[in-house]
Amino acid sequence: MLEIADLSVAYGRIPVLHGVTLRVGTGELVAVVGPNGAGKSTLFNAISGLAPVTSGTIRFDGRDLAGVPPARRARLGIAHVPEGRQVFPSLTVRENLEIGAYTDAGRAAWGQTLERIYTWFPVLAERGRQAAGTLSGGEQQMLAIARGLASSPRLLMLDEPSMGLAPAVADEIFERIVAIHRERAMSILLVEQRVAEALHFADRAYVLETGRVILEGDHATLKDDDRVRRAYLGM
Amino acid sequence: MDTPQLIENFLQSLTAGLLTGTIYGLLCVGLTLIFGVMRVINFAQGDFMMLGMYFAFYCFGAIGGQIVFGDVIGPFVAALLAGPAVFIAGLIAHKALVAQVTGTGAAALEAEGHYAQLILTLGLSLVLQNAGLFAFGSAPVSISTPLSYSAWEIGPLYGDRISVFVNQGQTIAALLAIGVAVGFALLLGRTRLGRSLRAAADNPRAAIYMGIDVERAYRLAFGFGVGITAIGGGLLASSYPFQPYVGLEYVIVMYAGVVLGGLGSVRGAFFGGLTIGLVQQLSALILPTQLQNTAIFVAFLAIILLRPQGLFGTAARRA
Amino acid sequence: MSAKVSTKGVSGKVSKNVSDTFFAQRRVSFGVLGRKRCLTRFSHRWWILAFVALYGVVALFVTNSYQQLIMTVVPVWAVMGLSWNLLSGYSGLISFGHASFFGIGAYFVVLALIELDLTPWIGIPIAGLLGALAGLVIGIPTFRLRGHYFALAMLAYPLALLYVFEWLGYQEVAVPMKRDAPAAYMQFADQRVYVFLALALLLAAMIVTRLVERSRFGRSLLAIKQDETAAEASGIDTLRWKLKAITLSGAMAGVVGGFYAVVLLIVTPPAVFGMLVSAQALVVAMFGGVGTVWGPVIGAATLVPLADILHARLGHIVPGIQGVIYGLAIIAVVRLAPEGVFWRVRDVLANATASRRPAVGAALAPTPRDASASVACDTRTESHGAPFETAGGRERLSDDRTELAPTESAPARAAEIDRRRRTERPSNAPVVLEVRGLTKAFGGLHAVKDVSLDVREGEILGIIGPNGAGKTTLFNLLNGFTAPDAGRVRLYGDDVTGARPNRICRRGIGRTFQVVKPFARMTVAENVVIGAYVRAARDDDAAALAHRALETVGLAGAADRIAGQLTNRELRLMELARALASQPKLLLLDEILAGLSHDEVRELIGLIARLPELGITVVIIEHTMHAMVRLVDRFVVLDHGAVLASGDPDSVTRDPAVIEAYLGRKWLEGHARDR
Repeated sequence: MLEIADLSVAYGRIPVLHGVTLRVGTGELVAVVGPNGAGKSTLFNAISGLAPVTSGTIRFDGRDLAGVPPARRARLGIAHVPEGRQVFPSLTVRENLEIGAYTDAGRAAWGQTLERIYTWFPVLAERGRQAAGTLSGGEQQMLAIARGLASSPRLLMLDEPSMGLAPAVADEIFERIVAIHRERAMSILLVEQRVAEALHFADRAYVLETGRVILEGDHATLKDDDRVRRAYLGM
Repeated sequence: MDTPQLIENFLQSLTAGLLTGTIYGLLCVGLTLIFGVMRVINFAQGDFMMLGMYFAFYCFGAIGGQIVFGDVIGPFVAALLAGPAVFIAGLIAHKALVAQVTGTGAAALEAEGHYAQLILTLGLSLVLQNAGLFAFGSAPVSISTPLSYSAWEIGPLYGDRISVFVNQGQTIAALLAIGVAVGFALLLGRTRLGRSLRAAADNPRAAIYMGIDVERAYRLAFGFGVGITAIGGGLLASSYPFQPYVGLEYVIVMYAGVVLGGLGSVRGAFFGGLTIGLVQQLSALILPTQLQNTAIFVAFLAIILLRPQGLFGTAARRA
Repeated sequence: MSAKVSTKGVSGKVSKNVSDTFFAQRRVSFGVLGRKRCLTRFSHRWWILAFVALYGVVALFVTNSYQQLIMTVVPVWAVMGLSWNLLSGYSGLISFGHASFFGIGAYFVVLALIELDLTPWIGIPIAGLLGALAGLVIGIPTFRLRGHYFALAMLAYPLALLYVFEWLGYQEVAVPMKRDAPAAYMQFADQRVYVFLALALLLAAMIVTRLVERSRFGRSLLAIKQDETAAEASGIDTLRWKLKAITLSGAMAGVVGGFYAVVLLIVTPPAVFGMLVSAQALVVAMFGGVGTVWGPVIGAATLVPLADILHARLGHIVPGIQGVIYGLAIIAVVRLAPEGVFWRVRDVLANATASRRPAVGAALAPTPRDASASVACDTRTESHGAPFETAGGRERLSDDRTELAPTESAPARAAEIDRRRRTERPSNAPVVLEVRGLTKAFGGLHAVKDVSLDVREGEILGIIGPNGAGKTTLFNLLNGFTAPDAGRVRLYGDDVTGARPNRICRRGIGRTFQVVKPFARMTVAENVVIGAYVRAARDDDAAALAHRALETVGLAGAADRIAGQLTNRELRLMELARALASQPKLLLLDEILAGLSHDEVRELIGLIARLPELGITVVIIEHTMHAMVRLVDRFVVLDHGAVLASGDPDSVTRDPAVIEAYLGRKWLEGHARDR
């Protein structure tokens, strides 16, 4: 579904990613973990077309995304749920979801999707007419994920969905993500600081450190690799 | 002056303030899309209004609006048609000029392009004013209709000592202004297009993630902004004479209204403009006429210094 | 490389100081990069004199009175543009209200002449004082506003005044002819005299602008323009400098407004308070280029004659055409040179030079050859061991804490230092910073929650924690950007809670930022010296402090390079040098290693590890843990705004709570089972 080969990204003179290669198969949940500043969000932005790619290719469904403008990529079926939620604060919850559904696929399936979204996140149904800016952090995160789902994407990209949330709330959100993945066989690319959870549920994972993939593998191989811990804690 | 006389003067000024203020409100609704929402200082806003006035003038006169729609309805139809015409002019101006120094085009410029926006829209303002002078001549004109000179009399009240005259032309203009403002608020609130515009203004980056073409949204917002102000101009044109430099007088009224109402809120901008109209007309009761405008500026300064989020805005409305 | 510190006595009179500074060309930079830059610097003042002289000579031979009038009006608008530039061009606060000062000056001169029979020779200087006063009166309330709000508020002042003057009955006030003693009332039959008077004003305005530009005044304003909060953190009292700028700017506009009244003989409210006056000031400056003495001059010299010639040639044939062309010219310039003609031309020239001589381009590395070139060029170099005047009075700065060996071998030494520091960790050293119960909430979210910690002298304390843990907010509370909801911050026992950032910087807390915003067109030295102003009363002393800071970080060789050409590593070092130049007792470093390669990180931590030797205590936020564990003496771990753990690196990285915060609970559970 998504194939990234030898991707390098630099902001001006500051290189952020160096030759990253990564793959997400159909229906897979793939995690990218690594300490802050490793370049995880930059990787996502490169996929969404908002980071300056210096070399390498990104293919989605076999199509090279180079030259595809950022707004078009969403319509191809890539939903990017950004770090820090980024909801539209002055729009209502319902309006946020409707904007999520502005892709062709999203519009076609709108009724069904909305029903599913409300089943996964009942709180959003209750808060439908409330301005998104007034929601709590956890609710905003749910809204951001739901807004991504509203476009009926084929690839859901989640950037640090647990960031800044209390552990119990983060656990809840994590459960929903896993449920969505299982029920819909949704392809998911997940960036997460909670390494253990990410590794536990992911089919495969990549460990990113200072812009390079230092390790990759499945849950079993990574969870006992001390290099993961060292990447985070330095010793 | 005795009390009934004072009351009559007050009511008359209040009426005048409400009628003009409503149209100022519409002018401000247009500007707030550009200044309040997109944070672009558009100095040429008054000149787009001037274009709207002249469009209405020629549409009514030379093009034949008067013949088709008659003396009474013609001026108002012409004013409404100024909207789409100036909307298109706004799209072109944005695509060719403004987009280069705003939004993503401004990222690399000093002070996020503020300097460039100012000077560019000042240049645009000069071009429009002087092209107007060249095309329309410098003599003041106005769209005169029978309604401009007729008024409803309310009263006599309080015995027969108080009567208030309400200009018919201005009243219809004010009602149309309210209609356009409400219609536009519905467009923003209820339609897919309106939601895209609001989303692009609210959080441009997230809007791109949603597949919204943010540059296009900004262009449309600019077009709507100048188009709505132009309708306001067209409605003013039937009661006030104007010339190509008229924009300068109103551009300040508009900014004052937008700031008063709190940046980014359409409803706030409308009431901000209304307040400016009231301040202007009511100040005439206690101040010499020359100081009416000073009253606007002093009120504006007091509010911007003491309550920069605006009279009607809430600080949290938009970050 | 050598510091450029003049030991000449400068405690003399102000006037001597002024001429001294302008002509002796003392400067903040230390040394010069090769001959070419030396020449440009040399020529700046001569360019001004040559321009004025040439203009004067041309004026001598112009006899047509219409052309003479244009030649008088060009300097008038150039001065107006310089006045606008002084405030808005340097500080970035855009003013639409310069007509206020201009109009007050114009009306004062003409009314004083009519009512008091006061000659403009005296009236114009008083107009300057009134302009200055108006600047102060307007500035005090209006500087509370920023950005667009400031610009709009400024727009309202002249327009309010315009209608007041109309109401007062001054719709049209004419200057009375004084036939008995015309010269005594600044009335001359020979129009050329006005050209020379205007030129004299322009020369004065240009000199003032240059003096401001190259002193701490101008640099402080530029720092405000770049990032007002960061400027405050560097110890710059931003409000004070902004008020000084608007006062001086108002004075210039008042003087030139008064002169304009004398030239035009008739004053009307729209002509002096109208929006076109403010717009003209802004247009000539922006067209020519903001933030430089040449911009307004170029703008006025191009646009004023252009408008007039168009008006005279075309105005009566096709009314309005001149305005259209004028407007189009402005639009064209914005499209081609968004920052003004001067900067565009300069960048083009610089690129041309760079491509011809690749050695002077971005790839230039500081080499000994550059150093010698600069010494050869800079013949008046003095030793940099000169006495310094610091905030606390005169003392020698070259005491132990600033005497440093070059840092070339820093990376190699890093590991050794690490080990040594570990064993010598101060445990009973005095407490530099004492934080008690610090709390800050934004909306409902507790960004920092009841944080207490002590930082001891000579220590390096690392603050770590997951994203959103409140680390940067904690720094903002410590250096005064944000006022806490509760809690106290004490620096060496003195309560500094809630003090303004520039005061806190003065007290000895320095800071760097996650995002480095250099002044791209200024040299490295000019960037760094901004940090030094807080500790040095005189600009020369500041320059020397800055030089020392650059030596400390090993960037002295790059002092004269343009900051826009630096690599990320050099930018980080420059940022560090700027903070060091304020001679902090406590330095807060916010993600200073971001985006650096492994080797660069090693170099920088070697450098930071040696800061305690200079008497600087360090608190550092950083994500790069493998660097942090080797650098710091102690960690404080924040999670959800509260202190989760603290202690030495070994214990903290094994602390289950920390592992859970970083790697998740499941990691901990999984590994507990394995064991």
